[in-house]
Amino acid sequence: MNRGHIAIPLLALVPFLASAQDTSERQTGLPLPTKRHVDFSADIRPIIEQSCLACHGRERDKGGFRMDTRELALKGGDSGLAITVGNSAQSRLIQLVAGKESESFMPRKGNRLTPEQIGLLRAWIDQGAAWDRSVSFARNEPPNLHPRRPIPPEIEGVKLPLDRFLDAYFQRESISSQPVINDRLFARRVWLDSIGLLPPPDQLRKFLADDRPNKRELLVDRLLNDNPAYAQHWLTFWNDLLRNDYAGTGYLNNGRSQITAWLYEALATNKRHDQFIKELVDPIEYKSSGFLDGIVWRGVVNASQRPEMQASQNISQVFLGVNIKCASCHDSLINDYTLKDAYGLASVFANKPLEMHECNQATGKFSAPRFLFPQLGRIDESAALETRRRQLAEILTHPANGRTPRVIVNRLWARLLGRGLVEPVDEMDLPAWNQDVLDWLAADLVANKWNLKITLARILNSRAYQLPAVDHPEHPTGKYVFRGPGVGRLNAEQYRDALSSLTGVGYVTPTANVDFSLGAKAANPRHEQTITRPIRWIWSEPAADKGLTSGSINLRRTFNLPELPTHAVAAIAADDIFELYINSIRVLNGSNWKRPSYANLRPYLRKGRNLIAVQAVNAGSGVNSAGFIFYCRIDIAEKRFDIASDKTWLTGRAAPRWTGFAFDDHDWKPVAVLGPIDMKPWCLQTRLEATVSGAYFSGSVRAALVPSDRLARALGRPSRERVVTTRRLTATDLQALELTNGESVSRILRQGAYKLAMEHKTTPVALINQLYVHAISRAPSAQERDIAAQLIGSPVKQEGLEDFLWAIAMHPEFQLIY
Amino acid sequence: MKPNTKSTRRSFLKTASTATLGALTAGWPRAIQARDSRIGASHATADRVIVLFMGGGMAHTETFDPKRHTPFRKGLNPAQVLSTFPTIDTAADPIKFTAGLEKIASVMDRGTLIRGYTAGDLGHILHTRHQYQWHTGYTPPQTVAAPHIGSVIARALGPLNPAVPAFIDIGQRFDMLEGEEMKVFHSAGFLGSEYGPFMIQNPDQAAAAARPPGGMTPSRFANRDKFYRKLVANSPVMLHGGDYQRESLLRSLDNAHRLLSSDAAQAFDLSREPRENLRRYLPDTVDTSKVSRVKQTRDGAYERDTLGRFGMGCLLARRLCEVGARFIEVGTEYIPFLNWDTHDNGHTRVIDMKRAIDGPVAQLVLDLEERGLLDRTLIVLASEFSRDMLIEGSPAKVVFDEVPVPPSIEELKYYGMHRHFTDAGCVLLFGGGIKKGHLHGETADERPCGTIKDRVVIEDLHATIYHALGIPPTLAYEVEKRPFYVTRDGKGKVIHDLLG
Repeated sequence: MNRGHIAIPLLALVPFLASAQDTSERQTGLPLPTKRHVDFSADIRPIIEQSCLACHGRERDKGGFRMDTRELALKGGDSGLAITVGNSAQSRLIQLVAGKESESFMPRKGNRLTPEQIGLLRAWIDQGAAWDRSVSFARNEPPNLHPRRPIPPEIEGVKLPLDRFLDAYFQRESISSQPVINDRLFARRVWLDSIGLLPPPDQLRKFLADDRPNKRELLVDRLLNDNPAYAQHWLTFWNDLLRNDYAGTGYLNNGRSQITAWLYEALATNKRHDQFIKELVDPIEYKSSGFLDGIVWRGVVNASQRPEMQASQNISQVFLGVNIKCASCHDSLINDYTLKDAYGLASVFANKPLEMHECNQATGKFSAPRFLFPQLGRIDESAALETRRRQLAEILTHPANGRTPRVIVNRLWARLLGRGLVEPVDEMDLPAWNQDVLDWLAADLVANKWNLKITLARILNSRAYQLPAVDHPEHPTGKYVFRGPGVGRLNAEQYRDALSSLTGVGYVTPTANVDFSLGAKAANPRHEQTITRPIRWIWSEPAADKGLTSGSINLRRTFNLPELPTHAVAAIAADDIFELYINSIRVLNGSNWKRPSYANLRPYLRKGRNLIAVQAVNAGSGVNSAGFIFYCRIDIAEKRFDIASDKTWLTGRAAPRWTGFAFDDHDWKPVAVLGPIDMKPWCLQTRLEATVSGAYFSGSVRAALVPSDRLARALGRPSRERVVTTRRLTATDLQALELTNGESVSRILRQGAYKLAMEHKTTPVALINQLYVHAISRAPSAQERDIAAQLIGSPVKQEGLEDFLWAIAMHPEFQLIY
Repeated sequence: MKPNTKSTRRSFLKTASTATLGALTAGWPRAIQARDSRIGASHATADRVIVLFMGGGMAHTETFDPKRHTPFRKGLNPAQVLSTFPTIDTAADPIKFTAGLEKIASVMDRGTLIRGYTAGDLGHILHTRHQYQWHTGYTPPQTVAAPHIGSVIARALGPLNPAVPAFIDIGQRFDMLEGEEMKVFHSAGFLGSEYGPFMIQNPDQAAAAARPPGGMTPSRFANRDKFYRKLVANSPVMLHGGDYQRESLLRSLDNAHRLLSSDAAQAFDLSREPRENLRRYLPDTVDTSKVSRVKQTRDGAYERDTLGRFGMGCLLARRLCEVGARFIEVGTEYIPFLNWDTHDNGHTRVIDMKRAIDGPVAQLVLDLEERGLLDRTLIVLASEFSRDMLIEGSPAKVVFDEVPVPPSIEELKYYGMHRHFTDAGCVLLFGGGIKKGHLHGETADERPCGTIKDRVVIEDLHATIYHALGIPPTLAYEVEKRPFYVTRDGKGKVIHDLLG
């Protein structure tokens, strides 16, 4: 048929065409066109929506064919016209849906069209393929892209912007106003949420006794400005998000690099969040490149997992709050993102154009660098890799980009209140339950130079945060209405740190290679020099640093203390192995001089004479360097009584009980001094100082600084194979088994009970009171105290105390955050 | 038919309905089932699974797929050597094994042997990537955390006995090279940690995993629990209405306590097993008195002293089956360069490995049979891939090889299958509805001895295991709004030829 026929008014032709074609129709076997006038919106639109758009709408262009608009539909695809207006029998679209071409019938997915539906489509094409101009199947712009700064409503007597927004919200939802929680609950909540630790009893007492009206604000400020504690808490949050860890997949083959030192510094110095993103997405230095570089697995991996695609997925998820993991393999079936989008972003990081792979099959098509939301900024396709990366960093942090700040304030809100303003937090294309709060917090963050601590303070100081905790089921149903923060639960790191502070049994050596003195000075103006005495590498023989055959030596050093120390933290290292005893009690051993061990010696020291004894081993075969170094910072009130390894130490032959005072060391000789702390081959000055200050400022090594272990895994610390933005907090049976009879909890509680019994020569009742206040920030009721006293006995029985500690460690008030 | 079939079937029906109920109420992640199949379908022939995993790469021509034997002599051309062991008969004619597997050979009439198992082409070999693939059915990396097959089964069917964890993993430690990579698939992934493995790293110490903590008497344990309940009941927090977090915490502790004080927990304690039974699960060369002495070093001494661990794992698996475990994996333990990971001394080391598995595997089959449990227990013995002396990867896609092979073998240490081979492999199946005395698949008689008939890939093996349990291979769970199928993309095909 000649296309010229279209010029004739089509409707007039319909009866003629239908009758003239009836004979040939029967031959083709196509369902007959419906014999009535079809209406686009009523008849055709539902068919297109149900059967075509998954591949040919919302910017999806399978076979180069799109049906977003009439123009695009009529334009056809890679294999030519799909719709021949006025001639449905000749239209490829009809032939495909009727299954004429057996290899490529349409729709490829889902149900076949019924003969009635095909008849409607035929009639529609025959009648001129009319299209309601107002209908477009193009992608809608998602919400939360552009900045918006709403004005908080004026509400009498309410000062803070967040409170004013929320008051208006509560009025709208007819929720009566509730009083905020008491000081005690607030303190526990805010301590755990801002720095991840239980409120220490003395500080809690001070806070409760404080009668200044703005004491909560002051507390929030003080906690957020405790830079080391803040950094060590939020390290967990960011390690999860940036999938940074100290061991795991990819580290085996050096297919992955840590960003720990950079991340710790960023947190301890409160790096501007826009700068933080820039350094991750456009790393100038190696130390922040791990996030972008991703994981390079040994062997062949799926095309959707090449490093550039990992970067594309992770940047989208972490900083833009969208899931393009599906779209990395094929046009997404769960949202609007396409393969082209995923590859477009990945191409920003590629040296040459990337060939798109659909379900791991090469498509022959190449993608151009493109930002996920072109309306927020464009990447120059012809620019060099470095320029493109910089452009992406600029777009991500540009004031016109309203998405990036919304994503992070939403994450912080979710972290502090249990549920995001937008939920799930990785679906930022959804609206917020309170758009004003989200938009205002985002705008406020940008206005405050991307200072996350200001956002945190805004939330922590809000009435919303201070409302009583509400039930927080894992999978709530129905419309979400905000009534207060959800009941929270200590995560793996918080739980372990809480046990450390309660029992004094913590990790010994930090694995994270970070500078603990960062931010410490600002946090504590009284921060003095970490090291006040010269430290020397020592051994039994001179020039041991130049090499010795393997062997073991013994060292002793006695000293006097005028009082029990307020602090005593030590860093110890030996090339290769050491075992440390204080006053004949074995304290710890270590075997990695590159990572000095870290110990709190306070529980072992006493007023008067003290004795350090060390066995050090030079291991290995053949001649190799040997050395030992020790530094202990000892504070008694305002004075320092530090002890360092130097020429005053003695060495000699061991005999029974040589680690104790009774041993006679008069025939021992002074050690040989090898050289200063920074001497070769060890060069340990920075690491040793960092270790001492880390111990001093943190009290113990926090769980975020060591690799995951069985307990941490049981409590939900993820393997950082992939980005984790939300941890599950629900208790499980396997977790309960680990807590009930697992080795580590049993050991912590046993050692803890021993230490507590040794260090606190108080009455059982005083001990119960103290542990209650420490663990759950309140004194026990008279009943609770009586029950506990029966268990722990008088005088305190080790077993009873251990079982009491277990009960406290399992107590809902301990594990949960109300 | 065995006389006990009826009662087994009855108890299964009961189990199936509880399991279905469990699956329905578990709720999250949501299960998406194919329209025409449901969990616990009546065709199910097994209630529980024991996977015996030969981590490290078990050479097919050295074990269950004998080829021409070339004894060691100096100056051998490696290209001549297809197998370093002579052939032996099995109870199922015409299936042959290699020498050293006589006991398993004697029970071959109870099971099926697959000879064409083919591992994925993942390029430069990394054991843990292939192990991940074997255990999840997916190739790492994945954008979501893929669950272990044991977790899928735990999630789909729930525990057989509520007092016994549904998924128990025996004999693998993680404090070694590649340990982190192993943890990734010894996990329930997105299904949630409640479906994860209950880990027993050393079977000798299993009792400790299921009883009150070390040094605690049962009465003290009971007292601690009583005290805890009293303390919590008196806490002001209990005055308010319940909340989800608190209830899940209290319930989980309740369940843990129930398990630790249940009768079923005694199954974990190998010391309750009669001495003569214990002996049957030990390699001939192992001194019974040394079994509990485990060295933590990673040298050869460790390996020799722990040869008996796999056998103890099998015994433990049998005991746990008897009290209602749903899925048990017992590993010979993957340790890089040790056990089945024969980068050197292949011949002599395989002699040791055969000693470690031959008696225990055969005894497990016999014991389960004697107890009437074999009919409903599916035993699967497998490895992540096979080995060859010359070819690394597969003949079609040779990849970077890690072990140098001399042109002429002058020393015994070069005599063995030291490279990783993916084009063939053996899987042994017993019980749970599997055909008896049956052979499936065939490999070539000359190098590279690859699969020439009835190739089996992991998703089909998984589909068959799931099918035997009444789980449709098209079952999917929703994660991040997408379906995640229990066999790769829902495409696993049940191998009906394996089923009786």
